[in-house]
Amino acid sequence: MTRLHPFTLLAIAGALPALAWLLPAPVGGLATAVVALGLTLTGGARLTRTAVLTAAPFWLFLLLLHDLPTSIAIGLRVTTMVASFVWVVGALPPPRLVEAMVAAGWSASVAYVFAATLAAAPVLRARARRIADAQRCRGLSARGGLAHRLRALWALALPLILSSLHEVDERALALETRRLVPGARRTPLSPPPDRGAERLARWGLVAACAAALGWRLR
Amino acid sequence: MSIRLLVLIPVAAAISLALSAAVDAVALPLFLDTTGTILATALAGPGVGIATGVVTSAVNSLRNPTFWPFVAVQVIVALYAWLAARAGLFRSFKTAVPAGFGLGVLAALTSTPISYLVFGCTTTGGIALTTALGRALGLPPLGACFFGSFVADFGDKAVTFALVTSVLHGLPRRAAARFPWALRAIGAA
Repeated sequence: MTRLHPFTLLAIAGALPALAWLLPAPVGGLATAVVALGLTLTGGARLTRTAVLTAAPFWLFLLLLHDLPTSIAIGLRVTTMVASFVWVVGALPPPRLVEAMVAAGWSASVAYVFAATLAAAPVLRARARRIADAQRCRGLSARGGLAHRLRALWALALPLILSSLHEVDERALALETRRLVPGARRTPLSPPPDRGAERLARWGLVAACAAALGWRLR
Repeated sequence: MSIRLLVLIPVAAAISLALSAAVDAVALPLFLDTTGTILATALAGPGVGIATGVVTSAVNSLRNPTFWPFVAVQVIVALYAWLAARAGLFRSFKTAVPAGFGLGVLAALTSTPISYLVFGCTTTGGIALTTALGRALGLPPLGACFFGSFVADFGDKAVTFALVTSVLHGLPRRAAARFPWALRAIGAA
């Protein structure tokens, strides 16, 4: 599965939830949920466990808020969506998606924005934890009333945001020296192969979703 | 779009994603997941703000796929923040906090149909529990769903607007002037 083209993986992950909502409940949702959970098994039991643990609270709250048939109908759709996303995240490394986007002629800027966010998020999370540790050393307490906690939040959030904004110029300069200017085309180093059969399969998935929509609307 | 504004998009999106660590540290019932969107809009206008919102939702979805259907809320937040920046509502807490309350109502109105139709109002534990409370108070299903979203969004967006106001005023003037909307948002241009 991981050898498939990134766009094919995304097409499968997008088509399954769409079909879960379009096909009549509960049979349609059950079929798509089984397929999606089956796909997670191809990535190992860990992915299936993640999907089940992510979907489980929804089932709990659905049973709390709705009757049994409604809970089953919505629960199977949500399970399909969760399992499809968990599977595609496990099967598709972001750098491979970026290569595919660049090879398909997408702007290098779009690929940069996506890849840079993925890279920056864990760095800023780690910085947020370091700021929290540093502020605690200076006597910051996160206990007490609402006003006290809000003041503590300001002491944590402001240094994080301001330091991140100060990096914008530095990053912009680095990109300019690498000539990543809007409209510039890049050459991918190892673009994933996009076979004709896969392109056909992607159009097949689009056609299946369109047919399901047409059938539901008739 | 200039390189500086392009770089601002991933930085602002990462700020939204990283603030959860700060919120966890002070144990407040807040999301602050639109901070980057509002900040990017106030600094650089609606195009950058909408792009930040979409990227934030896309990257958040890799961690928790239930975020993706709410991408429309991020777009609405960016457009509202743009109007607030145009009106200079980030000039002080006195103007920013009421504007944040307004966004809370708008965000709840936008997220309610998504939450109701896609998830049966079970998006997060807290919202599901307040929705259950709404049902127990005798509200109809859609009304209870709005009640749950409203309780979650109302205070969250006011705090987010106040936080962005603090950031805009905390930026040195020379740094703020490099972004096209920053000075107008705080009423200094």
